[in-house]
Amino acid sequence: MEDSNVFYRRQQLYTISGKLPNLGDCIVAGCRYSGPIALMRDNTKLIALGRATPVFAKAQIQVFSPAGEGLLLFSVDTVASYVFSCDERLVVVNEEGVYRIYDLQGDYEQHSLGSDATETGIIDLLEVKGWQGAKPLALANPGLSAPPHSWAVIPPDFNISRHVEVLLSVDSSILSVDNLETVDQRLSRGPFTHLSPSPNGKSLALLTFSGTLWVVSTDFQRNLAEFDTRGVVGTEGEVKQVEWCGSDAILVTWDSLALLVGPFGDTLQYFYAGSTFAITEIDGVRIIGPDVSDFVQKVPAASVSVFRPGSTSPSAILFDAWENFTKRSPKADENIRSIRPDLAKAVDEIIDAAGQEWDPTWQRKLLNAAKFGKGFLDLHDPTDFVHMGQTLKVLNAVRFYEIGIPITYTQYVLRALDPPLSYPLTAGTRTSPRHTSSDASPRATCISSRCASHPTSASRRRGAAALGVREDPQGEGGEGRRGGVREHRREVRAARRPGVSYAEIARRAWEVGRAGLATMLLDHEPRASDQVPLLLSMKEDQLALQKAVDSGDTDLVYHVLLHLYNRLPLGTFFRLIEEGGAALAPASKLLQVYAREQNREMLRDFYYSDDRRVESAVLALEEASRMQDPTAKITSVKAAHKFFSEDKDRAFEAKMMDEHSRLLAFQQQLEKETDDKISFFGQSVNETITTCLLNGMSKRADKLKSDFKVPDKRFWYIKLHALTKTRDFEGLDAFARSKRSPIGYEAFVRHLVEKGHPKEASSYVAKCDAHKRVDLYIECGEWRMAGKECKERGG
Amino acid sequence: MAASTSATDEQTSSTTDHDFKEHLDVSLLKDIARNSLVQALNSVNGAKTLVLDPSLAGPLSLVAEISLLQQHGVDKMFWLEAGPLTAVTTNVVYLCRPQIRMVKVIADQIKRHARESKTHTYTLLLVPRTSTLISRVLEEEGVLGDITISTYNLQFIPIADDVISLEHENAFKEIWVDGNEASVYDSAQALHTLQKLYGRFPRIVGKGDAAGRLATLLTRQTTQSSAGSDNAQALSEKFDSLIVIDRRTDMITPLLTQLTYEGLIDEVIGIRNSHVEVPASLLAAPSNPSAPPSDPSTSTPPASSLLKEKKKKQHLSSSSDPIFGELRDLNFASVGKRLNKVARRLDEDYKARHKAQSVAQLRDFVGKLGSLQTEHQSLRLHTGLSEIIVPYTRSSVFNKSLEIQQNLLSSYDVPGQISAIEDLLAQGADMQLVIRLLCLASITAGGIRAKTLENIKREFLQTYGYDLLPLLLSLAAPPLAILLPNPLPPSTAPEVAAFKYPYPTLRKSLRLVIDGTETLDELENDISYVYSGYAPISIRLVQCVAQKGGVLSNPASGKTRSASDDAAGRGKSQASVKVQAHPIVGWKGFEDVVGSISGKTVDIAQNGLGSADTVSASATSHPPQQGQATTTVVFFLGGCTYTEIAALRWAGRQNQGRKFLVATTGVVSGASIIESIAGVGRGAAASKGP
Repeated sequence: MEDSNVFYRRQQLYTISGKLPNLGDCIVAGCRYSGPIALMRDNTKLIALGRATPVFAKAQIQVFSPAGEGLLLFSVDTVASYVFSCDERLVVVNEEGVYRIYDLQGDYEQHSLGSDATETGIIDLLEVKGWQGAKPLALANPGLSAPPHSWAVIPPDFNISRHVEVLLSVDSSILSVDNLETVDQRLSRGPFTHLSPSPNGKSLALLTFSGTLWVVSTDFQRNLAEFDTRGVVGTEGEVKQVEWCGSDAILVTWDSLALLVGPFGDTLQYFYAGSTFAITEIDGVRIIGPDVSDFVQKVPAASVSVFRPGSTSPSAILFDAWENFTKRSPKADENIRSIRPDLAKAVDEIIDAAGQEWDPTWQRKLLNAAKFGKGFLDLHDPTDFVHMGQTLKVLNAVRFYEIGIPITYTQYVLRALDPPLSYPLTAGTRTSPRHTSSDASPRATCISSRCASHPTSASRRRGAAALGVREDPQGEGGEGRRGGVREHRREVRAARRPGVSYAEIARRAWEVGRAGLATMLLDHEPRASDQVPLLLSMKEDQLALQKAVDSGDTDLVYHVLLHLYNRLPLGTFFRLIEEGGAALAPASKLLQVYAREQNREMLRDFYYSDDRRVESAVLALEEASRMQDPTAKITSVKAAHKFFSEDKDRAFEAKMMDEHSRLLAFQQQLEKETDDKISFFGQSVNETITTCLLNGMSKRADKLKSDFKVPDKRFWYIKLHALTKTRDFEGLDAFARSKRSPIGYEAFVRHLVEKGHPKEASSYVAKCDAHKRVDLYIECGEWRMAGKECKERGG
Repeated sequence: MAASTSATDEQTSSTTDHDFKEHLDVSLLKDIARNSLVQALNSVNGAKTLVLDPSLAGPLSLVAEISLLQQHGVDKMFWLEAGPLTAVTTNVVYLCRPQIRMVKVIADQIKRHARESKTHTYTLLLVPRTSTLISRVLEEEGVLGDITISTYNLQFIPIADDVISLEHENAFKEIWVDGNEASVYDSAQALHTLQKLYGRFPRIVGKGDAAGRLATLLTRQTTQSSAGSDNAQALSEKFDSLIVIDRRTDMITPLLTQLTYEGLIDEVIGIRNSHVEVPASLLAAPSNPSAPPSDPSTSTPPASSLLKEKKKKQHLSSSSDPIFGELRDLNFASVGKRLNKVARRLDEDYKARHKAQSVAQLRDFVGKLGSLQTEHQSLRLHTGLSEIIVPYTRSSVFNKSLEIQQNLLSSYDVPGQISAIEDLLAQGADMQLVIRLLCLASITAGGIRAKTLENIKREFLQTYGYDLLPLLLSLAAPPLAILLPNPLPPSTAPEVAAFKYPYPTLRKSLRLVIDGTETLDELENDISYVYSGYAPISIRLVQCVAQKGGVLSNPASGKTRSASDDAAGRGKSQASVKVQAHPIVGWKGFEDVVGSISGKTVDIAQNGLGSADTVSASATSHPPQQGQATTTVVFFLGGCTYTEIAALRWAGRQNQGRKFLVATTGVVSGASIIESIAGVGRGAAASKGP
């Protein structure tokens, strides 16, 4: 098809005659990135028996590869809807709002959408990118009375608000709903039977009841194209699907007809023998018909440039030159000369075009042409060339019908950029249950060895490696020993390639019951975060904790600790940590940090079981310092005292705690004496003495001094400070005269000056050392006295 | 003498300009932090109520301003504290560090809302990463299902153009008291981010057990990430090495009283996240700018009244405040002189308006007026700050404690110093000061006589309360072991003995204490200037790696004079005066000295292919090329003091071809360390929003 410069091509991928049931009778879900399709019988339709199709029991979902190979079959209960997520996992929702996520081995995780969903019921399900089993997002209530005619989700990556938006076709308009509000787009052409956002999220294809296909931008600001589908010849019945082919053309399907509508309303028709199912891809659309599995795409620019009839682009000429060269025609040289300045570009383009070819013959031809052109360049970076060669090997291997992943180069590149790339893993395992190991193994190894040289396909190798272990149960039993040797070899092989995740291999090994091997493999895993969870599920508790501690990742240590705390009896748990000794000390410390905040009871038990007297005492003391109730506080302090006294090296601490409890008791008594008017409780010895002095209880202060053996020096300072504060200068004077000051009288002067009593201070200067008096008088502001002093000393 | 001082002054200022160009542009880190905040906020659609962990307010204010938050849908902000939360918006976003205490408050608030049947959508943004622990606590509290947990990865924040910090205040306590090494892991992550931005450190040198673990984590991370992706990271051209100094290897320095301007502000007033609380009147604009008072310093009210005034927060930064840039690293003794000079210059600049005859001249003056006013304003601030500090430095306790410190550092009459500490205790001096001096005595003298120590401890507990017993125990316990009796009781664990600090030998081999014969001005060339005669061990260790000459002798001695001689042609002489930085060869030459300090010694060369080997001493990195400066990142695990930063700046100026970039878990002081261990703190909650 030609429209100005755009070409579309249909590539037949696989012949699948008779492999699939009649698609028209089934509910179908397809997976992007050349993934499998899932089928379930549509109960609302009648099936004519007798045709040689696989028999469908009532509630079963069957998964087929694009090449028509059955991959998986499982029974489900009441299914409301199901879709594939991007990473080839099937999400099945039932009417109660419970959903299961199946991987291609048939393993599943189960989640619930919550009670709200159960009440309201499920109508339909659409794919959301990056599904992580998160909790449902409550969107604003649009206030619908009836189910919408059709709806679509715009993933968060593509819209302005960066949040999920849902488009609902209601009556004649479309509502766009996000978690905050509902906006009526105020269209009048609806209702729409089909609503389909393009893969790049920029445009939206709408099909009205009257059969008009209408393309608008997702923000409904621009009208892009319009096309009347009723005028198409050969249509029959209702439109079944409206799917995008890449991001610029739309495929509309009826029973047995697929119509490709280009951006300018030009069309291409494809006829099929029966019902079809179309799956949008990022660079085209896949059509699965009764007999064939096709891929329709816009011909990539590189291919157009090389193969367009009459093309005079450098790449076309280069290709021509190479053909002439193989024919030993001198025109080759002429051709090369003519494109000399553009040769590098031509080579690059040809390499690119090779990637777009499905057929290995053409790939080889194009690569040869590129190689030929490269020879004429002085400096050309061969990376792209090598890279493409390697990639194509991988692509061809996975496209092989038994594996059946018709992935294109564009998709491959995009997937490699996507982080969750478990695709090849599933690809590898897809084949494994169906074939004997002798059959699957060479192929898997073939893929893996091809991938191995490829830098971006680390996770592909993982898939192959996982497969490698999986086949091993066969070697077990009589050949157990040999199996072990083989595994070891395999392991060494894997070790040579950096990037293979040992944890993944180990998990497989463990799943098939080879715990010893799994532990051995895990030992090689550099990433503790991958290692630890598996070790935990293998009940290798000590090892898991050890690895977590070694990783230095405190969060991982907590993960293990909390897991073990839940699973093990308390005694065993404590013993595990205690017996770890110095190696597990960090874990023990972390446990204490956690328990101190959240679970003191457990901490007490922990210290007790480990005979950690000092820690127990500190814990008791800490608790005491938080307590308000006097009796409880004294009890706690006494407990601390008891703990300390049990450790003979802690005699000093025990004595201190004894003093502490005596002080608390004394303070209680003091409070009683003052009829609770003055608060003493919880003060330090110094503060208690000060409070006594401030309140004129100097007898009590003296008693404290003798009871707690407060040294004279400190007592004098306390009294000095207290008496200055109450401005009891007479008392201070009497105190100063009571006996010779152990702190000297300079301290008196300085403190009084500091507190703003220079006059009172000056009276103590005379008692100070002679040589300091002058300065001290000056500080008191007594210049006259200072002068006098000078004179005296001078004289 | 005056001539030489002024020469160094000018040299300083000119090199500051010079530095500016050569420094690595760390503002990139701020942009990253900002963008990821915006992203985190945008992940929640619509208007939201932000509930903020008070300990994050400071760091956050260095990254984003309130208007930015408002632009991204933050409607109201609350502190995350116990008690009910009344939010008007449906979305509630909690932003906090993964602390159990905080999470329990969150759980309480959610449960309260549930009881009052209010429906909100809760999002919890954890800084810097999610934590199993937190989800577990939320689960135990029964609210895990109601809250979406996400992260805000806040890593290094630039707090000056050569200092980046994780602003994690409690790192020291967590690592060496609690044994919670989460901050070691977070530091490794942050350093890894730094590597992603600027390339891998060609060499990692470090000292201390925790530093060793950090280095292992970092190299492991590098190998893992480069194995995962195809673009194995190249070695950095900008960095020549990473030096990790574990706070435990130098406990002496933070225990000392800081004597630089910025350090003293931290000691006296306290700097939190580069913000200092100052009396509001110091920040008010001068009332009549056109007629400034002839001497700006007289216009500030007396210091005593300043202290009582209402406090306001001020961001101290050299980029917005050039005077501060000049002052921050000066020994406080020379700050007055410098302020005086600035005041005079400012006065002359103002007087220039009288000379303005023509309209054009007048216009010039008016054009300058704006900058003059800012300068005037900042001069006012710094004069005010100095006036708050001066009385403190004149107090007898301060001077006594300085005397004790100096004597202990030169191991002079230790028993006498201990009884002096007892006197301070009897006078009821600050708890943290007494403990700092005690620990200092214990480290420098290799322990305090058991009988004496017991006595002091008893006095200590009686004075400050028995609740502080855990503090004493922590300080004596193995990972820290900085308050020990001498001789050690026979029952102590063997590792405690291993922690003993070889101070007397270090003092000689690292030239820690400079004899008091030289005056301050002469000392100015050596890093010991910042402590008036003591060179911080941590910085000497850095010099052992990056400036070996500086350890042995004063590199600039004599040279400054020649610089001042031909001051006129300084532009040319500058280059020749400075010593060209030598290539990084690890600890070479100082292995014995470094080995004598307890803790692991690290020396790892990272090669370009993503693997790392421990190098033999012979391996060398590329010598820094003439005229092209490389940056040495110095990471202080467990925090560093402002004075150490100042010292490192001094060290950096003596060399040519190498710049230091200080990275730290946070800026600490002796007081903040002791208080965090004691659990008292200067009030964890900040009082004003970011």
